[in-house]
Amino acid sequence: MSVDPVPSNSHGHLDEQISQLMQCKPLSEQEVRALCDKAKEILMEESNVQPVKSPVTICGDIHGQFHDLAELFRIGGKCPDTNYLFMGDYVDRGYYSVETVTLLVALKVRYPQRITILRGNHESRQITQVYGFYDECLRKYGNANVWKTFTDLFDYFPLTALVESEIFCLHGGLSPSIETLDNIRNFDRVQEVPHEGPMCDLLWSDPDDRCGWGISPRGAGYTFGQDISEQFNHTNNLKLIARAHQLVMEGFNWGHEQKVVTIFSAPNYCYRCGNMASILEVDDCRGHTFIQFEPAPRRGEPDVTRRTPDYFL
Amino acid sequence: MTDSSANLTTLPEEEEEKNSQEQIQTLPSAFSSIPIRPPIQTSQPKYAPLEWLGYFDKEEDVSIPGSNDVFHVYMAGSEGPVVFCLHGGGYSGLSFALTASKIKDKARVLAMDLRGHGKSSTDDDLDLSIETLSNDVLAVLKAMYGDSPPAIVLVGHSMGGSVAVHVAARRVVSKLAGLVVVDVVEGTAMASLIHMQKILSSRMHHFPTVEKAVEWSVKGGSLRNIESARLSVPSTLKYDDSKKCYTYRTRLEESEKYWRGWYEGLSDMFLSCPVPKLLLLAGTDRLDRSLTIGQMQGKFQMIVVPHTGHAIQEDSPDEFASLILNFISRNRIGPYGVEIPGLRRPQQ
Repeated sequence: MSVDPVPSNSHGHLDEQISQLMQCKPLSEQEVRALCDKAKEILMEESNVQPVKSPVTICGDIHGQFHDLAELFRIGGKCPDTNYLFMGDYVDRGYYSVETVTLLVALKVRYPQRITILRGNHESRQITQVYGFYDECLRKYGNANVWKTFTDLFDYFPLTALVESEIFCLHGGLSPSIETLDNIRNFDRVQEVPHEGPMCDLLWSDPDDRCGWGISPRGAGYTFGQDISEQFNHTNNLKLIARAHQLVMEGFNWGHEQKVVTIFSAPNYCYRCGNMASILEVDDCRGHTFIQFEPAPRRGEPDVTRRTPDYFL
Repeated sequence: MTDSSANLTTLPEEEEEKNSQEQIQTLPSAFSSIPIRPPIQTSQPKYAPLEWLGYFDKEEDVSIPGSNDVFHVYMAGSEGPVVFCLHGGGYSGLSFALTASKIKDKARVLAMDLRGHGKSSTDDDLDLSIETLSNDVLAVLKAMYGDSPPAIVLVGHSMGGSVAVHVAARRVVSKLAGLVVVDVVEGTAMASLIHMQKILSSRMHHFPTVEKAVEWSVKGGSLRNIESARLSVPSTLKYDDSKKCYTYRTRLEESEKYWRGWYEGLSDMFLSCPVPKLLLLAGTDRLDRSLTIGQMQGKFQMIVVPHTGHAIQEDSPDEFASLILNFISRNRIGPYGVEIPGLRRPQQ
C-alpha cells in the first residue's frame, strides 16, 4: 500500500475546493491555512533535487495569470490525468496570484505523486511585497495572514527536480558554487531566498551567449555560458537543463546547442508583452514535444490604474 | 540648548502678540485682524536654506570652448569612479547634495546644473531639447576630463534620466561603466504629458521668502525630506525684481515642445545601452511593455524603493547612496573602469 498523507475521507472536501478554485474562486483564510499545513508535510519530505518520472509535462512561469493556467490544463490535460512539473513563479504581476497558487498547492496535496511544484525567485517574502502578491492578499482577505501562510510555505518548496535522471529542472540556472547535484542535495533550503549564494543563484541565474560566468544584469545570480552548461551536464550525466525565469517570445527557446531550454508559460505576460506560452511534454520514451498556446479569452481583466507621476516636480 | 534659551527670550513677545490678537478679534474689519508680526517670525529656521558646503566639497564653473555656455558643477569625494548626476526638470545639481555626502567616501560624485537650471548660464536657456541637453553633458565631460576620463556611472533623475540614457546610447563616453535611471519610464511619462501643464500651473509660483518656497515644497509633497529641500530648493529659485518675490529659475511651462523628445523611445534606448543598468522606481512598479519584456529577460536591474516620492535621491538619500554603491561594487566598477575581468573564466 502506498503511503498517502491525506486521509481518504477528506478527498471529497479537497475535490470540492479544487473545483471551486478551478472557477477562480479563492478559498477562505481558514481553508488556506489548513491546506498549507498539509502541503508543508508533503513538501518537507521532498528533496532539494526532487526525482520525477516520465511522462511529465514541464511548465514555466505563471505569474498569477489564472485563466491562462486553466488554458494550460485544457491543452496539456487535467491533473492527475497528466503529470506536471512547474518550475516556479506562480505569483506576482498577474491579477489572480491567490487563486493560482492556491490551486497548485491544492493539487499538490490531492495528488502529491502527480504534480511537482518548484520554487521560483518570486516565491519569496521580499519580492512578493513589491510585485503584487502581498497587495492582492490584502485586497482579497483584508489582512496579510494568507500572504504570511503562503510565504512560510514557499520556504519548503523544492529548488530543483530531476526527470528520469537526465533532465535537470529548476527556475533560474546554475551557480559557480555548485558543481554537482549532491552539492544541491546537501544544503538547507528551508529559508527565505537569500540575496546571494548558491540557493539564490539557482533561482536567479540566466544562460548567456558568452562563455564562462558573468555578473547578472538583474542584480542577483550569474550568467553562465555554454562551456558551463556542457561541463555541468557532463559532470552530472544530464542530457538537458530545463529552466524558466526569462520571457521568451515563442514560449520556449533552446540555448547552448540544446543543452539548455527556457520554458515560459504566461502568454501575453503581464497582459502587455504579446508573447506565446509553451509547455514541454516529456513522454514515456523521453521524447520531447513543445505545445505552444496563446492567452485564454478574457472577460475583462480589472484595470490597475496608476498614479500619474509628477515628472518634473 | 540654544533653542530653549531662544524660546525663553521670545516668550514674552508671544504673549504680547496673543494679547494684541485677542484685542484685534473684537474689531469689525477682517483686514485689521492680520497681526503685525515682528520680522523674526517670517524667517522660520525649520525651513531655512542650507549651504551645500559640507555636503559637496567644491563647486566649479565649466566653460565650454567655442561658446558662451558655462555650466555649474558640484563635486565631492576623491577616489573611485565618478557618479555623474543629472537632475530632473526644474531641480538643480543640489538635488544630489544630501546623497552625495553619503556616497563621497567610496566614490566621487559630480552633479551639474543643466541648461536653464541652477547656476549654469547659456546663450539659450530655453533650449531644453534632448539633443542640446545631451550635447551639454558631453561637452562638460570633455571639458573636465579631456581624453582621459575616469570610469563614469551616469545617474539621471526624471528628465535627467532621459538625458543620461541619450548620452549613454551615443556610445561616445569611453569609460562609461554604468547607467542609473531614477523614476522615469517612457510609457507612464508619455501618458502623463497631457497632465503636465496642469500640474505645472497648479504649483505655487511666487514666494515672499526662500523659506516659504522650501516649506511649500515639503508641505506640497514634492519633497519629503526637509534637510534636502533646504539644500536644493533655493537653487531652483530666482528673485523677481518687478514683483519683489521669488519665483522659479527654470521656465518649464515654455519647454513643452521638447517634452515628447525627452521620453519618446526611451525604453528601447535604455535597453540598448551596452553597460550595466539600474532602474530605480519610487513606490510602484510601472514598467511599460519594452521594459517589462527587458526586465523579464534579465537585461537590467530594477529596484522599487518604498516610502519615497519622485525624487528618491532627496527623499531617501541614505538608501539611494547605498543602492548606488552596491551597484558599483556588484558590477566591479573601479576608478578606471570594470575591474576583475577574469570573472568570465569557468571554475575548474
